[in-house]
Amino acid sequence: MAFVDLSFPDELERFGVSTTLDCFNCGTCAAICPLIYEHFPRQMIRYAQIGARDRILENGVELWRCLHCGLCTQTCPREANPGELILGLRRYVLHHWRRDGHVPS
Amino acid sequence: MYHPKAIVDLIAGNVRKTRNPFGAFHFVMNRWWKNLDLPRDGSTLFYTGLMVQSVPFIERITRQLEALEDTSWAPLVGYGSWIPKRLVQVGSLFMTTPKERAPYEQILKDMVALLRRSGVRFAYRPDLDLYSGILLYDLGDQEAFEAHARFVAKRLQEAGVRTLITVDPHTTYAFKVLYPKYVGAEFEVRTYFELLRLQGEPNGTRVTLHDPCFFGRYLKLSHVPRRVLRDVGVAVADVQQSGPLTHCCGGPAESVSPKLSREIVERRVDQLKQTGAPILSMCPICMGNLKKAGADVQDLASFLARRVSSSGNGQNRKDQT
Repeated sequence: MAFVDLSFPDELERFGVSTTLDCFNCGTCAAICPLIYEHFPRQMIRYAQIGARDRILENGVELWRCLHCGLCTQTCPREANPGELILGLRRYVLHHWRRDGHVPS
Repeated sequence: MYHPKAIVDLIAGNVRKTRNPFGAFHFVMNRWWKNLDLPRDGSTLFYTGLMVQSVPFIERITRQLEALEDTSWAPLVGYGSWIPKRLVQVGSLFMTTPKERAPYEQILKDMVALLRRSGVRFAYRPDLDLYSGILLYDLGDQEAFEAHARFVAKRLQEAGVRTLITVDPHTTYAFKVLYPKYVGAEFEVRTYFELLRLQGEPNGTRVTLHDPCFFGRYLKLSHVPRRVLRDVGVAVADVQQSGPLTHCCGGPAESVSPKLSREIVERRVDQLKQTGAPILSMCPICMGNLKKAGADVQDLASFLARRVSSSGNGQNRKDQT
């Protein structure tokens, strides 16, 4: 079970993300993303919106599959900058891995 | 897939110790300029950011990563950061062969020839031609990126550099957008093809341009190489996904997942082959990756250099290298 934390979007601002709540989850990003798997990046954005940090950290490795190609940002109807949000989540996850002494397995 | 933390720590360690992502000696990575007699003095620098020179190194490393991905050896990649810096640097002497480096060094020589032919004055400072740190930014290591960017910006500012003529989309984006935003360093940044003034008569030649994501979308420069090609009489046969809607070459995934990278590039090569025209690339990372998937691809600069020298209308022929 994931805990909801509505202050998480504010916390993400420290990692350069200011558009977390602009997304209305239409899924255009997931439809256009070259990765075409498991609702990427839409699912991660939803996790960020509701502050499901555990889910983000558990699935953190998946963030590095993103090509940072910008197609999602180019086509987002809300101009919610999904590609930059994923980059900000990388910064967030890497910060936590380092702080917690995470050892890659 | 490799664990991103292992890859990021390895690359960040290399950049911190040697100022490039491979842990290589600077003189090993940057030797294309020798024998060219390029001027050293001036506030406008031809600036490669070592990206074009990196491709033979990337090819060597990703071949090894591809072989080990998803094997029991994969987790050991992280221990690479424990290998002493000096040993890695000495190893870099043997990582690439002159034959592997030659086509990429030729791209830079062709760019120099095209700029000279267009009447552009510039200097080159091999000692100041430093890696931008863009991979650290892309991988989410903001702290390491900013530390490296501050180092590079300071070196350039102390040398009185005002204008950078860049050659690849990633270095261009770093200096045009990221350096002002994150380390407050402002340079005038022009991509080499923005400065080209070439001429040629049409002879029915068609090409297909693969727009890199950073020129097509992030920097919105796709129209410029098309203008340059039109000026030399070459028609561009575009694929459906081009310009601001271009399709990624898969290159950005090659450090973390060579398998994913290959999957993406094969899809892109299928698209590009549909026109039947020769494929041109404007980014060394794209070029390396498209070649890996078997595409017959050449760099825009090398194509243009051959085109203008064979059309016989150019002055300064002696500048062709």
